[in-house]
Amino acid sequence: MILITGGAYQGKKNYAFRTFGCSENSVADGLVCSINDILNAECITNYHIFVKRMLEDNADIISVTKQLCTENFNAVVIMNEIGCGIVPLEKKDRIWREMTGKCGCIIAENSERVIRMINSVPVIIKGEL
Amino acid sequence: MITLVTGGSKCGKSSLAEKILDSVYTGGKFYIATMIPYGDDALDAVNRHRIMRDGKGFSTVEKYTDIHEISLAENCGILLECIGNLCANEMFCNEKICFPTEKIISGVKKLSQYAEHIVIVTNEVGCDGFDYTAETQLYIKAMAEINSGIAQFADNVIECVYGIPIILKGEIPC
Repeated sequence: MILITGGAYQGKKNYAFRTFGCSENSVADGLVCSINDILNAECITNYHIFVKRMLEDNADIISVTKQLCTENFNAVVIMNEIGCGIVPLEKKDRIWREMTGKCGCIIAENSERVIRMINSVPVIIKGEL
Repeated sequence: MITLVTGGSKCGKSSLAEKILDSVYTGGKFYIATMIPYGDDALDAVNRHRIMRDGKGFSTVEKYTDIHEISLAENCGILLECIGNLCANEMFCNEKICFPTEKIISGVKKLSQYAEHIVIVTNEVGCDGFDYTAETQLYIKAMAEINSGIAQFADNVIECVYGIPIILKGEIPC
């Protein structure tokens, strides 16, 4: 498994396409995809939004994330880093931010490689390129 | 030795901080808690961290402001958690906003003198790009100044990203 993270618009998806041979056809987009898509796609984008959607559906996102790591262990997962700001006023935003952190830790732990994109520059923070 | 651990929300800062102190220090350990246990979220966090520390031999000191007043045994181990709460408490506890940058930096320096090893947990709060009220902007600025100030005299500065420690200065002492 490979995790690509970083702030918004830092070139994460481009990097995944360029480096790991992912293409639009093989992508499950967290904005719209189902749990089943997550468990089967080669590449999952916007996983932080997927977390938000699952929370809105009262799904157990921690279990789903663990399932992703065991069942789709060759996937490239792309998720934004969203925890480095001010604690949100709305409780549901706070929960989303926290759960995204927890899910990110689970995915990172299960990934052979973790890459953090900054201004389209990949910084490897776990494993080797 | 002084180690500063930073990062965003739920990125594994606390577990890393405890791991560092556990592995480098075997003597008496103090946990300085700066979060006021008020409201559900705070109580959840307090309980979560208590369970994490359970059985690891920490004596807890609750100090929400004025950390320079704390007096501890020489050569102890200290985990100070966290600068984010401490800064908010200092700034917004009184009617008028206070600017606690120097006070907190010198407070941490003073604590460092007692400690054989001190691990300080702080937060990254300036990276979400939203516009905030003037008060919140002042908080973000103060946090940046305090973090920079501590990083200057810290031996190690480590950032956590989704549980992965990244060395910004020095080394990971465990």
